[in-house]
Amino acid sequence: MGKATVIPFGPQHPVLPEPLHLDLVVQDETVIDCLPQIGFIHRGLEKLVEKRDYNQFIYVAERICGICAMGHSLGYAETVEELMGVEVPKRAEYLRVIWHELSRIHSHLLWLGLAADAFGFESLFMHCWRLRERVLDLFEKTTGGRVILSVVKVGGVVRDIDGAMLREIVAVLEGLEAEYATIVSTLLTDASIKNRTVGVGVISHEEALDLSMVGPFARASAVNYDCRMLGRGAYGDLSDFQPILDTQGDCYARIKVRCSEVLQSIAIIKELVAKIPTGDIAVDVKGSPADGSQASNVLEQPRGECYYYARGNGSKNLERMRMRTPTSQNLAGMVAALKGCDLADVNMIILTIDPCVSCTER
Amino acid sequence: MEFTQVFEPLALDSLHDFALSRKEDGWRYVQTLAVNKDDGVDLVYSFMKNGALVNSVISDVPRDAEVPSISDAFLAAFVFENEIHDLFGVRITDIAIDFEGNFYRVSEEYPMTIISPEQLAAREKAAKIAAAKAAKERAAANAAEASAEAAAEAEKPSEDEEARKAAELEAKLAAMDPEKAAKVRAAMEARAKKGGE
Amino acid sequence: MGSFRLGGMTFGSLFKKPETVLYPLETKPAPAGLKGHVVNEVELCILCGICQKGCPADAITVEKKERLWAIDPFRCVQCGACVRACPKDCLIMDAASTAITVEKYRTERTVPDPKAVTEAVVAEG
Repeated sequence: MGKATVIPFGPQHPVLPEPLHLDLVVQDETVIDCLPQIGFIHRGLEKLVEKRDYNQFIYVAERICGICAMGHSLGYAETVEELMGVEVPKRAEYLRVIWHELSRIHSHLLWLGLAADAFGFESLFMHCWRLRERVLDLFEKTTGGRVILSVVKVGGVVRDIDGAMLREIVAVLEGLEAEYATIVSTLLTDASIKNRTVGVGVISHEEALDLSMVGPFARASAVNYDCRMLGRGAYGDLSDFQPILDTQGDCYARIKVRCSEVLQSIAIIKELVAKIPTGDIAVDVKGSPADGSQASNVLEQPRGECYYYARGNGSKNLERMRMRTPTSQNLAGMVAALKGCDLADVNMIILTIDPCVSCTER
Repeated sequence: MEFTQVFEPLALDSLHDFALSRKEDGWRYVQTLAVNKDDGVDLVYSFMKNGALVNSVISDVPRDAEVPSISDAFLAAFVFENEIHDLFGVRITDIAIDFEGNFYRVSEEYPMTIISPEQLAAREKAAKIAAAKAAKERAAANAAEASAEAAAEAEKPSEDEEARKAAELEAKLAAMDPEKAAKVRAAMEARAKKGGE
Repeated sequence: MGSFRLGGMTFGSLFKKPETVLYPLETKPAPAGLKGHVVNEVELCILCGICQKGCPADAITVEKKERLWAIDPFRCVQCGACVRACPKDCLIMDAASTAITVEKYRTERTVPDPKAVTEAVVAEG
């Protein structure tokens, strides 16, 4: 047994698009302990709620993170609506979920491309991002923005999607599905990818429950929880929703779960487009949240459950707004997954967990 | 699975035992947050089980109080406990992975406890609105009393038909419960004003 | 086997129409409703200042005395809150993005005074 050494990992590292620092305690190429450190890009956006009224803050909320922009604006709007007792029209709920699921597809394709790039699988990376571009084009056509959509407001949505556009969304997604199947079958059957991921960074089912993990990271360890199954908003009208689970709990299982979730999102969008009701897309919201009123909310983001909390103080500004993002909840799980792994596997494990540091540091 | 959310109070002393019992019952730890107040903070601990989201609120924790860590039961809490220590200045003891104030690099100590001018203005505005509402209610009550006196005077035989009608109504209102009567009176006053213009 | 299929897909793209465009020689047509920049049609503007109050980025300044409406395009986040709030519908979200520049600037528009115009006409008459 050699002497234990501390190897710093990040905040600048090729596999990490965002700053995350790890102190890896290494003994003979094996990681025996790990200390995560964030806080390089903390922006204090939760404090900004004091300067922006509850209608304006939605534009701040969606700028927490580029990839989860739609999710954050949706989660924030739902929380404020809960706080003020606003009932959102059914069509607005459907449109919100359609955009939210599109953003899940774009997030997972982005992640898949980055993962392929980290494996050294350049052509797969190119194909993933080529497909993602089509989703971004759909965003551009339906909302006027590619990443920051600014389409949700407190009380509904600001733009409608007409029937022709809805049919185009389904047509584009159907075209994407066939090519995506090829990409996924390549990724999941490739021998070198299997060599690097099967049995690496295993989190058992018990451990996942013990560490309160959320999102695809937990579902790969057979934790049967997905906020979408709570049936809130338009999710309640789906004929059937079952979270995608895997029992292995290793890197390969996490890749598999994310790959299947894209297909699940496409199915959800198709079903909602077929069922979408006609009607208003927004209601007027007047007044301000009552003093001392509080509301909480959970929402399934691409990376897992996100928790929102709002407290009013009788004025237009909220007293406190809080977002607990999936990555901060999964940091403990990440430490557990890294313990006992090979130093060379560290980047694979971190990638398959898919941390979003911008979200974590609001 | 049905989603429900509740807010329930919790005492600071029983926090640690509460977390242990939650762990035993198989609840999932969701999050911890702090809300800054004039003299202390509110801490909210959330747990979830089968779609029921329970937010346990510890109200008015004094700034110098020692809060026990629950990261021995739920390791995932270490992130939030370090965060609350760094941003709100709450002393949390025995965190499983303790950064001792170095989790976030902040240029000002405990930035979330600073009350910004905007927040102060918002609070004052809210207080003003509340005060105006209370004053309005008081004024309405006073007016009601005054008109009751007037009604008592009007009980004497009157030459005016209108005054007699008003007296009748006053007598009716006296039988009603006071809050409702005040409302009716306010409505009548408003109507009279409108008619007078 | 999967690698062969991916190889086929990659090989096939040699003969297909490229997914990208030859920027800057070609540009993609902007879809309707793209959020480019905010334009004020000053003839309709009444300088009410609702856009200034609603702006989450404090990009808009309205000076009623000087009859000036100004927007800082470097602060503007193209959220469209002002366009929706405008009671006269004189603010429009233009699909064209602003030109590339080397220094910061502020777009200022002077709002013509409809009263002044009628007064001038009366004086002439």
